[in-house]
Amino acid sequence: MANNFSPDSEPTARTLLRRVLDTADSCTPQRRRSDRISAQRTLLETPSSRRRSIQTKVTARQRSHGARSTGRLAHGQAGGQLEEQTPRTLLKNILLTAPESSIVMPQSVVKPAPAPQVVQPSRRKSSQSSLELQLPELEPPPTLAPVLLGSGRRKQKLRLSVFQKEVEWGPQGLPVSQEPPGNPDASSLTSSLNLTFATPLQPHSVRKPGLARRPPTRRAIDVGALLQDLQNNSLASTPLVDNLRAPVATLPTDIVLEDTQPFSQPLVGHSPNVHYSLPHPYPGPEDAEGTVHHRTQGSIPELQNHKLQPEPADPLEMTEAEGSKRAMEAKNPEESSGDEDISDRPGKRPSVRRSQRTVEPKIPEESSGDEDISDRPGKRSSVKRSQRTRRPEEPKRSSKDEDISDRLGKRPSVERSRRAVEPEEPERSSEDEDISDRPASSELASNVPEFLQAKQLDQFLEPAPSSGATVLSSEPQEPVLARTHPRPRTAVPRPRQDPHKGGLNHYTKLFSFYAKMPMERKALEMVEKCLDKYLQHLCNDLEVFAAHAGRKTVKPEDLELLMRRQGLVTDQVSLHVLVERHLPLEYRQLIIPCAFSGNSVFPAQ
Amino acid sequence: MALSATVSQKKHVKRKAPRGFLRRLFKRQKPHLRLETRGDVLVHLNCLLFIHRLAEEARINACESKCGIIKKDHVVAAAKVILKKSRA
Repeated sequence: MANNFSPDSEPTARTLLRRVLDTADSCTPQRRRSDRISAQRTLLETPSSRRRSIQTKVTARQRSHGARSTGRLAHGQAGGQLEEQTPRTLLKNILLTAPESSIVMPQSVVKPAPAPQVVQPSRRKSSQSSLELQLPELEPPPTLAPVLLGSGRRKQKLRLSVFQKEVEWGPQGLPVSQEPPGNPDASSLTSSLNLTFATPLQPHSVRKPGLARRPPTRRAIDVGALLQDLQNNSLASTPLVDNLRAPVATLPTDIVLEDTQPFSQPLVGHSPNVHYSLPHPYPGPEDAEGTVHHRTQGSIPELQNHKLQPEPADPLEMTEAEGSKRAMEAKNPEESSGDEDISDRPGKRPSVRRSQRTVEPKIPEESSGDEDISDRPGKRSSVKRSQRTRRPEEPKRSSKDEDISDRLGKRPSVERSRRAVEPEEPERSSEDEDISDRPASSELASNVPEFLQAKQLDQFLEPAPSSGATVLSSEPQEPVLARTHPRPRTAVPRPRQDPHKGGLNHYTKLFSFYAKMPMERKALEMVEKCLDKYLQHLCNDLEVFAAHAGRKTVKPEDLELLMRRQGLVTDQVSLHVLVERHLPLEYRQLIIPCAFSGNSVFPAQ
Repeated sequence: MALSATVSQKKHVKRKAPRGFLRRLFKRQKPHLRLETRGDVLVHLNCLLFIHRLAEEARINACESKCGIIKKDHVVAAAKVILKKSRA
């Protein structure tokens, strides 16, 4: 920097240019950093206050440059104009190009006069915090700046991952937050513009390192897909739109989502499918089961395609053999794991995809164990498998599924309904009718031909009541057992205090009462110890006294003697006095003989 | 459970004697001896007096050391004196 200053004394165009070049070369890296950081900041900190501060900082720099240049040299003004112009144009075009932006930096680095800085930003100070004003001053020394910036960078990177998610989640929110800060000042507008432009550009560069790639993109898709699904659902079942929508409006949103999604997912791909699949059953109305199988076979590829729609790669997998799917699995193992996590959420598509992939390896086992699987992903997979491997069995399976669904409750059944594309669909829908009439009816009408519906209803309504009966029978029994047993159990294992400890605790309380002072807890423990010791001694003494009197019974006289020896009972203070002083009435009555009515004395002496 | 280091003074105390506890204790210590009917009450009185003495002694100790709180040391010092005094 010293080199830069010396030429300043000679105000010639050459020196100026040279200086600019030198500074540019030296400071380009620094400037880049600062640029990035500023951009990151803007990215990271949506709150307008932060951004404002940065903008104001930038403007302050510019102003300082301008002031300095004007104060010093006529040439300086020209240089300042150049620099001002260049950053504007550049920033308008692209912020990413570092060398151009670097031109701005040299001035801030060079600026020798702190006074103009302080004076001019002072206007801003009201809005700013002093710390941020100081920052430009700190930057000039190039040695210090990189350290500071580096440290700042790390922090911001850490935050970036978090922020990126947010950005990707709610991309609409950013621009809104960015705009307001630009408004307040015309001078700051340019800087704000730069900043705003930077924000969209930066994420790409940052994104590529792969900080938080997988969850955000997929989730974004999910949300959109959900809405689409809902819409498609309504579209697909056009005749029953009213039925569908009425429940949607009436029911709380959560429930609606849960119920409708499973249906909607298949339906999304389904809406076209329905048209395809429906024709199949019609040609073969003779045999109900035969038609069912027929339809399933025809519908399977379509279904797969639909489910695969979200990802372009998927259709290939689906249409082709399972091997290709396995290959896909190998490609993105993370995704499958991530999908599992997501599977709970409303957007089920990722999970569906996963099931497609993961199911493949399982196939041999699952053919036997499909009924047992209560897991959602497992079920989906099982559905798929059933489409391929178990077509003949499907009717039976569906019945079993119904039983399971009854046991498990609404959720599983609804999800099973996702298979609605298959012949099971009607059954499920019938089941759903039992559970909840609204979506099921719509599905039934839309997807399944009426004669099929009737047949399947007949088939599957029969098992349903039985299962319901079993549920009813089983449920009440369990609660009864649970109610009867646990109470005694809970009563029995109640943790018992150590009685010895409890008794001692009573006396420690008395101690704290008599002490009439606050005391340490350790002191109380000490008191307990002392009391324990004292009681031991007391028992030993009593034994000795009783033994001395030739008795095996400890009598009150022994205790009186003991107290006399302890100095508690003296000639002036008898035992009775002590009793009257220290014991409540009920105990006094036990100890001090008193005459009662009927010429009786109690306790007898 | 956060135990405060200090225990404030008790304002109210049960005056009831833990008679069962005393009886059990005596039986545990001297299983071959029998405590007479109202013996436990007198034992309770004895303990009460002992505690009273101990507390007063401890308080005096605390006051001598110009301490607002009775500390363990104070209790130990008091116990040394009182246990000796209450030896039979």
